[in-house]
Amino acid sequence: MDISKDREFQKVTGISRRQLLGSGACLIAGASLLFSRTAAGITPEWSAPSNGSTDPYPIPWLDKNGSHNQSPGPGMEPSSIYHFKGHVARCNGFTGIGTDSQNNRVTFGAPSTDFSFMEGEYFAARQERRGAFSHI
Amino acid sequence: MPKGSLTLSPDGRQATLELIAAVIDQPKWPAYEAPYLPAVMSLKVVWKATDEKVLINDKEKHFRFEGFRAIAQAEARVSVPSLDFSWRSDPLKTSHAEFAIIGTEVNGKYFDEYEKS
Repeated sequence: MDISKDREFQKVTGISRRQLLGSGACLIAGASLLFSRTAAGITPEWSAPSNGSTDPYPIPWLDKNGSHNQSPGPGMEPSSIYHFKGHVARCNGFTGIGTDSQNNRVTFGAPSTDFSFMEGEYFAARQERRGAFSHI
Repeated sequence: MPKGSLTLSPDGRQATLELIAAVIDQPKWPAYEAPYLPAVMSLKVVWKATDEKVLINDKEKHFRFEGFRAIAQAEARVSVPSLDFSWRSDPLKTSHAEFAIIGTEVNGKYFDEYEKS
């Protein structure tokens, strides 16, 4: 449940959404409470139509850490965002070396070191949008 | 990502990603509530397509990728100011990625539209 919405709801109605949903009469009670508050001239701050975030949807697939991500590899989905069409590139399994501030030579790269970009059209908040995103 | 971070060749076979990003240094990730320190990372990654074509058409997951296996190389700089630590990789050409692809993808609703067309 969205905690910020729950707090807004509690501020307007005087009860939490958890309490309301637990009461077994959520629809009728909720409508009644909102109507009485609106009729009294108190407009709920979240009364505007909700079209969702303009951020892209993540891909539905989860990795082993529970993130909406797929490790790069043959047959795996390259994009990290969903409802997307455009250019994409992905890579992982880097091997390389560098130097730290103490002049130590330190290698970098692991199977989980993966980089990508997505550039093109995506659908969010009920509209087609354009953007460029990266996964580092 | 910031405008100008991505350069894509007109044929879509080569791309360069250059970013400077505020990140965190979190050695114990993905441990829950693992401690972290603010850090800064600059990164350059270059993808160049090979002639090996790749086509993935996954109807179950609603995505289609069409492109090429690629050669990818990266160079980076990292600093963690609170630890007075920094690290800089050797030049781009000295790195190597085991797996890389570049191309185009449609997924989700765009995949469904593609399938119907």
